[in-house]
Amino acid sequence: MTTGQKTIIEFNDKIVRQFMLAAIIWGAVGMLVGVLIATQLNFWQANFGQAWLSFGRLRPLHTNAVIFAFVGNMMFAGVYYSTQRLAKARLASDFLSSLHFWGWQLIIVAAAVTLPLGLTRGKEYAELIWPINIAVAAIWVVFAVNFFWTLAKRNEKSLYVALWFYIATIITVAMLYIVNHLSLPTSLTHSYPVFGGVQDALVQWWYGHNAVAFFLTTPILGIMYYFLPKAAGRPVYSYRLSVIHFWSLVFLYIWAGPHHLLNTALPNWLQLLAMTFSLMLWAPSWGGMLNGLLTLRGAWGKLRTDPVIKFFAAGVTFYGMATFEGPLLSIKSVNALAHYTDWIIGHVHAGALGWNGFMAAGMFYWLVPRLWNKPLYSQSLANLHFWLGTFGILLYVAAMWASGITQGLMLNATTEGGTILKYPNFLETLNSIRPLMLLRVVGGGLYLTGFLIMAYNVWRSVRGAQAVNGTIEVYVEPREPAEKLSLAGAFLNAPVIFSSLGFLAACIWLFTTGWLNIIGLVGTAFCVLLAIGHFQTRGTAWGEWYDKLLLNALPFTVLTFLSVAVGGLIQIIPMLTIERRLQTEDRVAQVYTPLELAGRDLYVREGCYTCHSQMIRTLVPDVMRYGDYSRLGESIWDHPFQWGSKRNGPDLARVGGKYNDAWHFDHMLDPRAISTGSNMPAYTWLHKSNTDYASLSAKIRVQRTLGVPFPNWSPADIDRIAHDQAKQIAKELREQGRYTDPDKEIVALISYLQTLGKKWEPAGATP
Amino acid sequence: MNPPPPLPPDDPGIKLRPHTYDGIQEFDQRLPNWWLYTLYGTIAFSIVYWFAYMTASVMPTDQAQVDAEMAKLAAIRLASSIDVTNDALFWDLSRNPVFVDAGKQTFNSLCVACHLASLKGKGENPAAVGPNLVDQAWIHGGTPKEIYATVSKGVLVKGMPAWEPVLGQKKSAEVVAFVLSHHQKGEPITIEVPK
Repeated sequence: MTTGQKTIIEFNDKIVRQFMLAAIIWGAVGMLVGVLIATQLNFWQANFGQAWLSFGRLRPLHTNAVIFAFVGNMMFAGVYYSTQRLAKARLASDFLSSLHFWGWQLIIVAAAVTLPLGLTRGKEYAELIWPINIAVAAIWVVFAVNFFWTLAKRNEKSLYVALWFYIATIITVAMLYIVNHLSLPTSLTHSYPVFGGVQDALVQWWYGHNAVAFFLTTPILGIMYYFLPKAAGRPVYSYRLSVIHFWSLVFLYIWAGPHHLLNTALPNWLQLLAMTFSLMLWAPSWGGMLNGLLTLRGAWGKLRTDPVIKFFAAGVTFYGMATFEGPLLSIKSVNALAHYTDWIIGHVHAGALGWNGFMAAGMFYWLVPRLWNKPLYSQSLANLHFWLGTFGILLYVAAMWASGITQGLMLNATTEGGTILKYPNFLETLNSIRPLMLLRVVGGGLYLTGFLIMAYNVWRSVRGAQAVNGTIEVYVEPREPAEKLSLAGAFLNAPVIFSSLGFLAACIWLFTTGWLNIIGLVGTAFCVLLAIGHFQTRGTAWGEWYDKLLLNALPFTVLTFLSVAVGGLIQIIPMLTIERRLQTEDRVAQVYTPLELAGRDLYVREGCYTCHSQMIRTLVPDVMRYGDYSRLGESIWDHPFQWGSKRNGPDLARVGGKYNDAWHFDHMLDPRAISTGSNMPAYTWLHKSNTDYASLSAKIRVQRTLGVPFPNWSPADIDRIAHDQAKQIAKELREQGRYTDPDKEIVALISYLQTLGKKWEPAGATP
Repeated sequence: MNPPPPLPPDDPGIKLRPHTYDGIQEFDQRLPNWWLYTLYGTIAFSIVYWFAYMTASVMPTDQAQVDAEMAKLAAIRLASSIDVTNDALFWDLSRNPVFVDAGKQTFNSLCVACHLASLKGKGENPAAVGPNLVDQAWIHGGTPKEIYATVSKGVLVKGMPAWEPVLGQKKSAEVVAFVLSHHQKGEPITIEVPK
């Protein structure tokens, strides 16, 4: 075997150290912002009256920081460390590595500046403005090139399971990110997403859900597959399970996205697909947990002594918990109770703090002694971090379960034979969960304290230490032609053919009626039986083909891409190709007036969607509380859609006309003057700043380009119509005893709020 | 540093895979049965569920379901509705402590924000949003049926929300009874035009 040339390779571990330290710094920042905004939910004064510290602007900063800055940097550290060793090759380009690192940090800084300023696209985890979007896409491509180039230069021919997950991550995140960020700019800092209404909702949650899947899950699974057996000194439990759970996970995950839109106006077939695929995802997710936990068998003794193993074992356990909870929450009836409540917040934090945070900590504690050639400063502090963190998460998650279920039950409770709501005032339900929201702050604070202890521990460990780069001795062997898989070889083989035909037949069954439907069903069953039969008799051939596939990165990548892409294509393409006017149910929205559009952009700027939904679900308690259920057509021209995902306050889909202008004027200035016990921030700056009329003509032009049927107004028309309406509202306010300059932002916002639920006509009324 | 010898896998027939990756070895264990059954179970459930909703259409759509339930609730409300134009009935209610107490509870949770706990609103504090409800001056009519109409339909321009959709007829009537309990039948009513 040692026919090749012997060389010594020094790994680029500098980049790993950089990403690791960046992850720790940004992690602390992201979590600190989290604790601050959690505090604001109890103590509205905690924004110190500053617009840039208000909940609606900082919540996007918190989510983006934790996802892209903390987990992002941590993932890059783990991927770069393990890939070099699994490929037995130094990273392909030091320049690209550095570009990747510094580019990513620059993006984070840009995000940390723009989001508090209220520069946002108004879509969750996709809030960053378009110039930053382009930078993210470009840096991601740098990452991809660096990674695949390294694979191309690899001296270890066969791809280990960790690399499969990295491959899936890189190509899928690129696809999701680009599609969900397609926008048309109206200025350097503002754009509208190209999709609107239900299309935007669908694309958003295809992205949002799979950001969780392919940014927070698959790369960390890859990291688990490398670092956990390394730390435990044990073989991975089951290769077979790796194969099955990898392919089922990447195929199934994509379909589950619309489970964020259950019981909404989203067409039923999409809701059904989302729910059933979420349920089917349970076992594949647990496959990853099993391969993690069962690999620890025989190493459980280390659990008492080694903080690395402690964090990994707990992290994988939290993964198992969160991936059981996910399918549970995707059952429509469970979702009816839990959606929009704190239960969801508890669920995502079990994932982010328990799974991501603990896997990160385990990896950092494992890496520090190896990257700086010095033992960890303190094992006791690492243990303290572990216990503080664990107790913190458990407190957090338990408080959120209790809070979510309590509020959900109260919101749904009825009395008088079910004819009226038991708690018609939303604030009653909010105020009953305040103690639990406070416990959440304590839990999160404990977790952050543990994290800061880790930061201190790492700092003491690496201070004055000599950074070392790993080396390896490899035999560079020429590639044997027999290992090469031709294109035909990659696709024309039993596993791929059976999967493709079975999938095709299943699609025919799903999406047709009558005879074709039966043919599809029979065809699916036939393919499955045939595949089982073939596997029973020729199973070794399947295994040999797969071993060969692992030697060929490109065909592997193509097959992975096809598996992830197909779910999104089937769900999204029909919704994009059907004429928008046909996706309206029985109502179609009228376009906004220029002033209302300005008000809507303020609504987006202030992040109102982080606390208020605009979607009355097809559920009796929702209809009783907020009015007739929302129709698709009512938001069909909304770029971006604002259906929301959390109700810290009531739904606003039909708030228009419910109160008078003076009510909104007073309420935005001091919510507690009208709503006793409210935790909403006081938006005093809206009464002081002037409405941005100048940008309206560019905005309306872009919306027209996107297909929104605005009349063909000239810029002068737009200006005049907007000013006239503002004056009219200011006049009405004056009659109600409120005095304001018509050009203040509050006037534009009131004009928008008063249209909510009002601006529609029966579908088909006008062409 | 030598790793400890691997534990024997569950099935003695299972071997370590020959290849190692940077020192990492892999067993090739069979998939646990309970895991497989979970996977198959969820797939089977999904097929049945899809079939029930999409192919056989034995289940009503969400929209149809809500519409039917709301219609049922509307029927219950109609069946137990009272004549809200009957002034005498409201006066009777306003002298019944059960009704008045129930109305007071509702008033204290929802109405005090504008009309204050004393019911005096602007009469007590000029900064309050709602007018005085215990004096004899009324803006939108002071007979019981007029008060009921104000409570149930609201006066949106003035900031009074419509309460019947939220409270239902019974609770709205209780609130009116509570307000009337501060008044006497036959007392003079003056119509006030607010400044």
